[in-house]
Amino acid sequence: MSTTSQKHRDFVAEPMGDKPVTALSGIGEVLGNKLEEQGFDRAFVVLGQYLLLRKDGELFTEWLKDTSGANTRNATSCSQCLREWCDSFL
Amino acid sequence: MPVFVEDPAQFSKPRLKSELIAHNVTLPAVESKKQVYVELYLKHIVQKSAADFSSDEEDDDVVEVQDSQDFEEEEKDPEMLDPSVLTDDKLKTTLLKYGVEAGPIVATTRSIYERKLQRLLKPAQPRQNGGTGDADQYSDSEGEEETGSQQGSPETVSLMEENLHVDMWFESRIPLSSSGPEIKRGNNRSSNQGPCPRPYWQEAATVDKYTMTNRSLFITPKTSLFKRQIKEPVTDVLMEMFPETEPTPTGIAATRRRPIKGAAGRPVQFKYPDLPASPMTLQRWAVEPRLVPLWVQILVFFIVACLLYLIYASMEDGLANPFVALLDNLSMETETEGLSLQAEP
Repeated sequence: MSTTSQKHRDFVAEPMGDKPVTALSGIGEVLGNKLEEQGFDRAFVVLGQYLLLRKDGELFTEWLKDTSGANTRNATSCSQCLREWCDSFL
Repeated sequence: MPVFVEDPAQFSKPRLKSELIAHNVTLPAVESKKQVYVELYLKHIVQKSAADFSSDEEDDDVVEVQDSQDFEEEEKDPEMLDPSVLTDDKLKTTLLKYGVEAGPIVATTRSIYERKLQRLLKPAQPRQNGGTGDADQYSDSEGEEETGSQQGSPETVSLMEENLHVDMWFESRIPLSSSGPEIKRGNNRSSNQGPCPRPYWQEAATVDKYTMTNRSLFITPKTSLFKRQIKEPVTDVLMEMFPETEPTPTGIAATRRRPIKGAAGRPVQFKYPDLPASPMTLQRWAVEPRLVPLWVQILVFFIVACLLYLIYASMEDGLANPFVALLDNLSMETETEGLSLQAEP
C-alpha cells in the first residue's frame, strides 16, 4: 500500500484513548459491528490482540480476516495502522 | 535419514540439544551434563542414521527399506503434532521448534497459532502435487517461511538447508525421462547436505520416495495447495476487481493490464460500483448532509445579530453621551456667560 488514507493518518496522529473500533483504518461500520459483537468494541482491545500476536502483521491480518470477515486490503490497512501507531506511541 | 557421521562428543551442547529436538527425543533435565546429551544422541540418532545410510547403495531392496522407514516417520509425525490436541505450552514449544516465536497462547490467539503450525507442518505438500518444476511459483510460501524465520534465529540454518534442498530436488527432477538410478543419485546428493533433519526433511524425504517409485511426475494432478495459494489472494482483491477472470494455475493472468484495454474505447467491463468506497469518501458522504444543520444556521444568525446590536448599542452610547455632554457644557457656558453679562452692568 503506497498511500495512506485520511482515517489512517487521523488514527496514527494521536493516542487512541477511548476511540471506537471503527476509528481504525480499514474497519468500517460493518466490520466494526462484527468486531463489537465479539467484544472488540474499542480500538485498544484490537491493539491488545495485535500485541498478543507479538505485532506480527501476518498473523494479525489472518486473525482479523477470521474474526470480522475483512478482506486482505482492509486487514492489511488495519495492521499497518496499528503498527505505525505502536511505532510512535508505544 | 541423512546425517554426517561425526563424533557427537565434538558437538556443542546447544547443537546436541537441537539435534535431539529435531528427532523428537525428549530432552534430559536442563542441568544435566553434556555426556547425557551425547548418550541420548548416540542412542536415538546415530542408530537411525546408520540404518538410513545403508540406503546409499543403489539396490532396490534397500530402497524398499527406506520406503517403509519413511512411512513410519510420516505416520508418526502428524499424530504427534496435531495442533488441536496439544496443550498451550506444547503448542508453543512446537512452534518454537519451527522457528516461530509464539506470543502468549490464549483463547483469542490459539486458533491462529494452531493454523500457523499446521501450515508449517505441511510445507512440502504442494511440491508433491505440483506437476511443473517452476521454482518461482513457490516463492509465495517461501516468503512466508522467511518472514517466520526472522523471528526465530535458530531456524535460519535449516531454512537455508531447505532452500538448498529444493534446488537439489529440482535438479534431481530434471532427468525425468530416465528412471531409478539417476533420480536416486540426486536424492543421495541432497541427502548428504545437512546433519539436521527437521520435519521439512521428512516431508522432502517423502517426495523423494515418490520419485523413487517411478510415478510419473507429469501425470500427478497439479491441484490442491498451489492452486489454492494462488486462488486465495485472487478471491480477495483481484476477484473483486476482475470477477470474470478465471483463475489460472500460473496466476499471471490476474495481473494483466486490463485497464488500458478498457480505456482504449471499449466499455470498461469490471464493475466499478462494487469497488468499496474509501473510508474517506464514506465519511464525507456521512458528513456532508449535516455539514451546516439548520439550527446551527439559525444560531449563527442570532449570534451575529446580537453582536451587531451590541456594537450598535455601544456605539450609540459612546456617540450619544459625548454629544449630550458637549451640548450640556455648551448650554451651561452660554447660561453662565449670559448670567455674567447680566451681572456686569
